[in-house]
Amino acid sequence: MRKKVMARIVSVMLVVVLMMTMLTGCRFGFASDPDDPNEEEKKEPIDTSIDTFEYDSSLNGTNITLLNTKAEIQVALEEMGAEYEKKSGIHVEIMPVSDDSPYTKMISLYNSGTPPTIAILDTTDVIALAEEKALDLSGEKWLAEAEGYTTQINGKTYSFPLCIEGRGIIYNKKVIEEALGETFDPESITTLDEFKAFLDRLVDSGIEKPVSMAKEDWSLGAHQLQYIYETYDGTNEGAQKSIEEIKAHRLDLSTYNRMSEFLDIFDVLKEYNVAKGDPLGADYDEMAIDLADGKTAFWFNGNWAWPNLAEAGAEETDEYGFLPYFMNNDKDDFVNQMIQGAPSKQVMVDREIATEKEQAAAKQFLNWIVYSEIGQQMLVKTCNIIPPFKNNPYELSDPLSRDLYEKVHDQKVFSVSVIVPNDHWAVLGAAMQKYLAGRSDRAELMESIQDYWDEQE
Amino acid sequence: MRAKNNGKDFCMFALPGMFCFFAVVIIPFIYGVYLTFTDWNGVATVKNFVGFRNFGGVVKDTQFWTSLLLTFKYVIFVVIIVNVLAFAIAYLLTRGMKGENFFRAGFFTPNLIGGIVLGYIWQFVFSRVFVSIGESTGWKLFEVSWLSDPTNAFIALVVVSVWQLSGYMILIYVAGFMGLSEDVMEAASIDGASGFVKLKSIIMPLMMSSITICLFLTLSRAFMVYDVNLSLTAGAPYGTTEMAAMHVYEKAFTSRQFGVGQSEALILFIIVACISGIQVYLTKRQEVEA
Amino acid sequence: MKKTTIGGTKRKVADLLAVLGLIIIFIAYMFPFIMVVINSLKQKRDIIKSPFSWLFTIKGLSFDNFVKAYTQMDFLNAFKNSLIVTVSATVLVTLLAAMLAYYIVRHNNGISKLTFGLMVASMIIPFQAIMIPLVSIYGGTLNLLNHRLTLIFLHTGFSMAMSVFMFHGFIKGNVPMALEEAAYIDGCTHSQTFFKIVLPLLKPIISTMVILNSLAFWNDFLLPSLVLTDKKLLTLPLSTYSFYGTYSADYGTIMAGLLLCVVPILILYVALQKQIIGGVVAGAVK
Repeated sequence: MRKKVMARIVSVMLVVVLMMTMLTGCRFGFASDPDDPNEEEKKEPIDTSIDTFEYDSSLNGTNITLLNTKAEIQVALEEMGAEYEKKSGIHVEIMPVSDDSPYTKMISLYNSGTPPTIAILDTTDVIALAEEKALDLSGEKWLAEAEGYTTQINGKTYSFPLCIEGRGIIYNKKVIEEALGETFDPESITTLDEFKAFLDRLVDSGIEKPVSMAKEDWSLGAHQLQYIYETYDGTNEGAQKSIEEIKAHRLDLSTYNRMSEFLDIFDVLKEYNVAKGDPLGADYDEMAIDLADGKTAFWFNGNWAWPNLAEAGAEETDEYGFLPYFMNNDKDDFVNQMIQGAPSKQVMVDREIATEKEQAAAKQFLNWIVYSEIGQQMLVKTCNIIPPFKNNPYELSDPLSRDLYEKVHDQKVFSVSVIVPNDHWAVLGAAMQKYLAGRSDRAELMESIQDYWDEQE
Repeated sequence: MRAKNNGKDFCMFALPGMFCFFAVVIIPFIYGVYLTFTDWNGVATVKNFVGFRNFGGVVKDTQFWTSLLLTFKYVIFVVIIVNVLAFAIAYLLTRGMKGENFFRAGFFTPNLIGGIVLGYIWQFVFSRVFVSIGESTGWKLFEVSWLSDPTNAFIALVVVSVWQLSGYMILIYVAGFMGLSEDVMEAASIDGASGFVKLKSIIMPLMMSSITICLFLTLSRAFMVYDVNLSLTAGAPYGTTEMAAMHVYEKAFTSRQFGVGQSEALILFIIVACISGIQVYLTKRQEVEA
Repeated sequence: MKKTTIGGTKRKVADLLAVLGLIIIFIAYMFPFIMVVINSLKQKRDIIKSPFSWLFTIKGLSFDNFVKAYTQMDFLNAFKNSLIVTVSATVLVTLLAAMLAYYIVRHNNGISKLTFGLMVASMIIPFQAIMIPLVSIYGGTLNLLNHRLTLIFLHTGFSMAMSVFMFHGFIKGNVPMALEEAAYIDGCTHSQTFFKIVLPLLKPIISTMVILNSLAFWNDFLLPSLVLTDKKLLTLPLSTYSFYGTYSADYGTIMAGLLLCVVPILILYVALQKQIIGGVVAGAVK
């Protein structure tokens, strides 16, 4: 008997809790704290008064789908789709990719006969799918605006570059200046030795371990390790050539200068790593907090880190920026002057299932992003993306993207898109983790890289 | 039931359920087996028959065999710990103490959370909560994240799996114990059987049917571990905790060797089928003897 | 339920130790849950910096995470979708599995044996092995994706084997032939016998299968993610996708969202708890 009563009490309590959470859903919504870091960032207003874009009225009423693999712009894309629908009468359904990989999602969607009309993908995925499935976009007008950022496959362009992403060593200027008691000029550091000396000064002034580095395999395997291809000579062709040479055993990794130079700076970062005691236990979110709080002064990452920094308390007026990935002590080497920045997401249009009308609507959407005043604004302000299009006049609001954008204009960015197999980051990311944890040496790491390439056909 | 309406009975009782089962599980499975003999990569419009070439790829894929070995190790730990723990807890929960129902409900709660979310929560517990406890108490055990060391990450995987699976098994063992007749137990006690003897010669044989089913369920689930593997360690650190099911998935989609991945899945299935078959055969025999 | 105590003080000490051990293990079991509840009320910063700190020492304690989760998930709509799918699939699989298991138990013929054997074997097929074939058949060939009905059907098919297996054990051990024969003599048809005589006897195992299946359907992520892409149809677990970013996850909201998902099923569990235990008692092990 008592048990039954107990059970009833518990269930009543649960119902009350549930109802409370639902009710508070209404009440707490208004009473939110303006300083709350969880609060959505305030949005920049979009001026929709001027719009000179010509819409094709015959496409009115068309429905298209867009697969988004860039989770952080999901909400922004939905807003963009709604605005486009208002103007053009074309409905764009934004589909998210949640836990599957984008490629798996694409395969499952193609097999289920419901591929998205438009898909935002990584370059490797586009290369894997394009010739089989994608619409040839070689004749599109925006190619001229995106010069240098498009990807060709056997002479044809199948994809639209969505954004430029850059990476390097992020610094927090305020923290450095407070620690050293002097103004910090990022350009004063030009070589690896100077960078190391600078780190020692920070250590002496109280920042014990001034560097954060992510343990994630994508960061280690793609963003860090790929420097050995990208810096071969700083061109796409050079990067591809370096890979061919490694495969053919003509480039011996143990004597390849970029390999050892890469490990030189990697070792420096490793030495000053805030998580040196447990490098593989480092937490991504904590790194953002550490940099914003001034526990560290540097973080190896890219401009996509801004939302995390903002969440950790960084303000848009704070000064954050990138230092190059100093690989050696030659001041004149481009790697010590420039940071790497390349188009990171590519957009393809389906040619297999989509009707001609849907394809036209999709193409118009891409043109709208490039040419309409609203699309241009929304790409920059709503999505917070650095556009690869020369004609886009709008300015970015966050300091990291701003710094990258300025560097693009000052020719301080080298843009290399290196094409590696899809599992490169995962397989070699694991090898890099092992090296980072101090469980393998340079020779073993190089052997893993060589083995990886030997296994590729 | 009498035999004369057999056809009608079949249509009415068996057909709907069989249809669902065959349409959803068996046909896709057969199609999947067929795919292992083609060079289909998941996207191409043409499929060419390539015979056993994909299975050749499996033989060459050393990582698969490594992950399989690791899976065996994992299965042994999980199956033993889960069953011993669940058996013991179930025993304690059927002795008529106060608040039994509360405890039984509590031990079942891990089942309420789905696999992926569960892994994330535990990842958070291992990499943040434990480390934070370590920082404030100075305990060596929690000084560094368990997930950054191969051995500890493996232990973490076993711990989480035990946590998740044992709730279910407790339920079944509890049921088994409640089915035991009290007379038998009491008679044994009066006869002066000591705890261990009682367990070995009276309880175990009577519980054999529960043990059969629990072993089967833990074996198959442990072999198939995927969700927890992916969301807790994702193979980290440096690929040392990648189990077979996860490797199969990675092979098919990340490494884009669909045919090889599909073949590895088939081989995994055959191995698990054999092992659980042997297990059921052996434990069933024990039941008969009892 | 009280048992006669044998052995006096020694027994009491052992009991005490056992209960103590049980309580310690119990706390360990509940630990992740406690962490979820505590941290669902904190801000991300506090979660990361001090996950273990007690509630009263945290400044930012608030229900904001719940508000955010509730709105971003479009909770009511997702709740409705989950409810429709879970209830329909649970009813369907429970009924069909009971009937199929009944047929298999009472007709020991070749088809029965084959089906039952296939079902047991199918319980160890890795889902990854049939994932792509499944979508190419149901999407590519039949073009049936993005319907709730398809998801209900697939859920039913996937949980059929396990359900039949459990019903099979129960019917074999707990449903006496004599009752049915009496019913036939009274002139009942087969279906009348099943629905009026057999089904009521299955109540304990039905409760068990209801809770186990509805739990599985309610929490499932992979299958619905393959079938449903239309936003209006998303189920609760799918609707939390936006909390997982490419580079980091929004822990506070995830935990709040998780609690919102779990509460309904917890209520069902508490309500059915007694029958569940009873059902497994009588069923699975026979």
